[in-house]
Amino acid sequence: MTSATAGTGLTGADFEKFRDYFYKRTGIQFSESKRYFVDKRIDNCIRASGYDSFAGWFGALRLGDKPALLQELINQLTVNETYFLREDYQFDALLNAVLPEVLKNRSRIPGPIKILSLPCSTGEEPYSIALRLLEEWPHIDTVDVEIHGADIDSEVLARARHASYGERSLQRVPKPWVAKYFNLVGAGRYQLDESIRGAVTLHQINVCDTATMRNFRDFDVVFCRNVLIYFDELSSRRAAENLYGSMRPGAYLFLGHSESMSRISPIFTPTRLPEGIVYQRPTGAK
Amino acid sequence: MTETQPKVLVVDDAATVRMYHSTLLTEAGFEIHEAANGLEAVEAALGTAFDLFVVDVNMPKMNGYTCVETLRSETVGTPAPVIMISTEDRPGDADRAYAAGANLYLVKPVVPARLVRISRMLTGRGVAA
Amino acid sequence: MGLVRRNAEPEPQTMGPGDLLAQLDDPDPDRRREAALGLEAESAVEVLLDRVATEDEPRVRDAMLTTLAAHDTDAVAAGLAVHLASDDAGLRTGVAEALASMPESVPAIIPRLLEDPDHDVRVMAAMVLADLQHPEATTWLTVMIKDDPHPNVVASAIDALLPSLGPEHTELLERAVRRFPDDPFLRFTVEAALR
Repeated sequence: MTSATAGTGLTGADFEKFRDYFYKRTGIQFSESKRYFVDKRIDNCIRASGYDSFAGWFGALRLGDKPALLQELINQLTVNETYFLREDYQFDALLNAVLPEVLKNRSRIPGPIKILSLPCSTGEEPYSIALRLLEEWPHIDTVDVEIHGADIDSEVLARARHASYGERSLQRVPKPWVAKYFNLVGAGRYQLDESIRGAVTLHQINVCDTATMRNFRDFDVVFCRNVLIYFDELSSRRAAENLYGSMRPGAYLFLGHSESMSRISPIFTPTRLPEGIVYQRPTGAK
Repeated sequence: MTETQPKVLVVDDAATVRMYHSTLLTEAGFEIHEAANGLEAVEAALGTAFDLFVVDVNMPKMNGYTCVETLRSETVGTPAPVIMISTEDRPGDADRAYAAGANLYLVKPVVPARLVRISRMLTGRGVAA
Repeated sequence: MGLVRRNAEPEPQTMGPGDLLAQLDDPDPDRRREAALGLEAESAVEVLLDRVATEDEPRVRDAMLTTLAAHDTDAVAAGLAVHLASDDAGLRTGVAEALASMPESVPAIIPRLLEDPDHDVRVMAAMVLADLQHPEATTWLTVMIKDDPHPNVVASAIDALLPSLGPEHTELLERAVRRFPDDPFLRFTVEAALR
C-alpha cells in the first residue's frame, strides 16, 4: 500500500501522536479509518501556517503560543455549518426525555421553563427549539417556555434578530413548517415570522465572563454545542463553571455530539439518555 | 463455542500504562476498553456493562477515588469488581480505596502475572490462557 | 401559555469583592463556589491560597483553582506547589492541573520539584510537565528520565514525553531500561515507545 498523503507525508507514528494530542485537547477521537480525512486536513493546516514539516507545525501547535493554529485545525476537522434542526437527535432527547423530567421536578417552582442556546450564532438553534416545541411538544399549550439565545458576536446576533435564511439553512425543516412559520422575503430568502422571532430573547454575552454570566440564572436546559472545544484549558473550565451557575439544580446541559465534559470539568453529573450523554447540575440531594 | 470475553475498563491518564495493562489483559483473553481519566470512565460505564475496572489514582479532572465512588453511586451503580493501582504507597491509601468501593489496592509496578491472576479471580471466569 | 418572551434584561447583580469574600464563608457550597469563581481580583489571591487546602467540597476547591491558575504568578505557583505532596488525591491532582496551565510562573519552581525528596511529588511534577505549554518542558522531562532514582518517576516522565518523542531520545530511553532492569513496565513502555 502506498502512502495516502502527498506533500508533508505523515508517518504512522506522526498520526498516532497527532491523534493522541487532539483527543487530549478536544476529546474528539479519530479512528484509523479516518486517516485519509485527517491527513488531508492536517496537510492543509501545515501549508496554511507556513511550516514545511509536520514536526515543526506540531511542535508549535503543542506549545500553544499561537492559538490561531489550533483554531484553524479545529475548523478543518469539525463541521461548522449551522442550519435548522442540526444534530436533531438532541432535540428529540429534549422533547422525549429531558422536558418530561423538568416538568416532573418543577411542580413546586413558579414561572416558565427556561431554555438557553449558547452560542446561538445566527439563530438557527434557538429557533429550531422553538419550532419543535410548538409543533411537537404537547404541553406547550399548558406550560410557559422562555427561550434565550446568546452569543459573543454582535454581528451574528443582528442576523439572528433579523432571522432571514436561505433555502440551504432550511432544507431539514418540513415544508408545512416553512409555510406556517416563514415568509418569503426575496429570491430564496425566508424570514421567520415575528411570532417566533419575538418570542426568543437574544443576548450578547461572553460565556467566559463570570461577572456578566452571573446574571443568567435558573435555566432548566442549556445547549452549548461545539464551542468549548475551541477554548484553552482555563477558559473551558471557567465557561463550564459559568454554565453551571446559570442552571438550576437538576438542570440539563447538552454539548455537541463529539464533545465531552470529561476533558473539561467534573462539576456536572453525566446521565445517559437513549440519544446519548447529557450533563446535569447535581441536585445536592445524594 | 464462543465464550463472551469479560470486558475490562482500564482507567489511567498515562497512555503507556493503559497500553501496558491493555496488552497484558488482552493476551489473557479479556476485552479491553480504555479511559484517560475518572470522568471518562464514568461516561464509558454509563454505556457499557464492564466486568472489571482497573483504575489509577492520580488523574486529572476526576481522581481514582472519586471515580470509584461515582461508579458505586447511583450515577452508575455498577457492582463489578474494581482494582485500584497507584504509584502511591502511603499509609491510609489502601483504606481510602476500600472506603471508595474498590475491591483491591495495588502499588505500581504490578508484576504482569499477578495482574492477570487477580483479574481472572475477580471476574470469576475461566478465561483461557 | 406557549412561548413567552422575557422582556426585561435580567436584573444585573452587582457583587463587590467584599460581598464575595463574605460569601466564601457561606454554609451552602454552591454559594462558596460562586464566590471563589467571582473573586478574580489579585487582592483575593492570598485568601484563596489560604483556603484551597482546607475547603472540602471538590466543586468549591476546583473553582478556587480555576481562579488562582488564571493569575499565573510566582506567589500562586509557590502557594499551590506545596499541595502536590498532599494526602488528598483530589487536591494534589487538582493542583497539578492548575500548575500545568501556568506556563509563566511554573518554570521557576520546576527545579525544586525535580529535587523533592518525595518521589510521589516528582511523579506529580511529571504530570504537570506533561501538559505545561513551555518550550523547556521536554528538556526537564529528559532530565528526569536520565537522572531520577525512582522507576515510577522515570516511567511517568517517559509517558509525559511520549508526544514529543523523536529518534534523538532512543539512547536516553534505552539507558533508562538498563538503570531499572527489574521493572517490567518500564521495559514495556520503552519498547512500545521505540517501536
